[in-house]
Amino acid sequence: MSKSTHDVSNEVVVRTIVRKRLTLRSLVREEKFLYVVSLVVFFTIWHLAATRGNGDSALVTPWATLQGLYDMMSSPLGGETLVGHTWNSLRRVLIGFSIAVCFGIPLGLLLGISETASAILRPLVDVFRPMPPLAWISLSILWFGIGEEPKIFIIFLASFIPSVLNAYNGVRLIEPELYDVVRVMGGSRWDEIKQVVVPASMPAISAGLQLSITSAWMGVLAAELVSSNSGLGYIIILGMQNSDPQMVLGGMVMIAAVAWVLTASMEKIDMMLCPWRREIKGL
Amino acid sequence: MNKHVKISAENVSKEFIQKGTQRVPVLKDISLQVFDQELLVVLGPGQSGKTTLLRIIAGLEKPTQGRITLDGEEIRGPGPDRGLVFQSYMLFPWKTVEANVRLGLEMAQVPKEKHAETVRHYLDLVGLNGFEKYYPHQLSGGMKQRVGIARAFSTQPKVMLMDEPFGQLDAQTRLFMERETERIWLSDKRTTIFITNNIDEALLLGDRIVTLEGKLPGRMKKSYEVNLPRPRDPMDMEFLKLRHTITSEQELTL
Repeated sequence: MSKSTHDVSNEVVVRTIVRKRLTLRSLVREEKFLYVVSLVVFFTIWHLAATRGNGDSALVTPWATLQGLYDMMSSPLGGETLVGHTWNSLRRVLIGFSIAVCFGIPLGLLLGISETASAILRPLVDVFRPMPPLAWISLSILWFGIGEEPKIFIIFLASFIPSVLNAYNGVRLIEPELYDVVRVMGGSRWDEIKQVVVPASMPAISAGLQLSITSAWMGVLAAELVSSNSGLGYIIILGMQNSDPQMVLGGMVMIAAVAWVLTASMEKIDMMLCPWRREIKGL
Repeated sequence: MNKHVKISAENVSKEFIQKGTQRVPVLKDISLQVFDQELLVVLGPGQSGKTTLLRIIAGLEKPTQGRITLDGEEIRGPGPDRGLVFQSYMLFPWKTVEANVRLGLEMAQVPKEKHAETVRHYLDLVGLNGFEKYYPHQLSGGMKQRVGIARAFSTQPKVMLMDEPFGQLDAQTRLFMERETERIWLSDKRTTIFITNNIDEALLLGDRIVTLEGKLPGRMKKSYEVNLPRPRDPMDMEFLKLRHTITSEQELTL
């Protein structure tokens, strides 16, 4: 018996390593090489653009930007170092995002599961969905003043809708026969939710998390640009008011770096939530 | 004959409502008896309502008229006393082979300490030991359906319902899986209803073959006893004669 099983699964993967010779031609076509070349060209153009003119340019060199970053990390601006400001922004994002996800995903699942809930709540979702979260900034300042609350509110709005919609779509796209599997085994409605709805929509939910965190990060910057005395958005505004391009660019670099870290951690979380998909990638 | 009737369908008809108002008759006056330890094959072309018949027996659909009983009790809904093997496997991609088979045990609230043993038993039965930790996408089609069969067995149903289980397999794997099905059935003699549109499959497996008419609504056409020794040889004279009889009495669209 074990023999026949192995016959069925007898799918041998042959791997050979082909060594390419290093010639000019192959080098020019090499992806990693081109990647580096592209970056080098970019930074060179940036450097040249910044050093042209007679010193009052609104652009600083890449090297000066790095120096600016270092200075901001060591000497406080508006009471805090760059690290402190980054943490302020990040903390707002994490709070708003967590609240949004905790309400958004269950709501999305509910909309997918219950037709009644969907009929009642979908119109509301449809009304608020096309509204960009940034449009709420003024109203949120009127409502909540200028403390932490309006920023967290904006972040909540920015990440709530993607969480809801992705969870909802995840449920809607489930193959209906999967429910039959549970029903045939004598499972209850609750078993269907636990065994099918939640795990089957997990990839979509996870995709929603990635969208949510990205738009939450955009939300916090916008909110800080409008009114704030801390955070990365504040750094940029401060740099603009002081006509200090070093500060502005330093802040932008930090913003990009944090966005990159957030995206990377969401990919890690995706692998944890959907371990069966990680295996697919490896095939 | 004094065989125990396991499943009995009495004048079962089924209509679906389409687009709110259109009535589509799918099954008409099906009366059928399945005996204990029998392997009954329902043979019919596509669109003859055979899957619907199986879904009614599984309790996933309700008949519009008539009733079906299992051990004398009317079937009113799905339950673990009937194991269903799906045409398109329907394994849970997020669960390993082992966890897919364990699903039924969890739902039947079988004590946890019995899970491992039962799962191993049925994985052994279908020849999948060594693949416990694989995910479905890592398996070939035949192996996926083995998991499907093990999963259906795990709740120890009184009857196995198999809905064109090998329809998606290539011809060779299909023949191999038919032999396996016969082996498993002989080792356990679980009452089985096997749906197919393939006459060779029907003749290889069935104790009895019931044919459905080729257009909706599906009606019972004929019933054939297959008194050939197992394992059956598709080149055997008797096999071919019976094949000829059934084919000429049924316009099978294969």
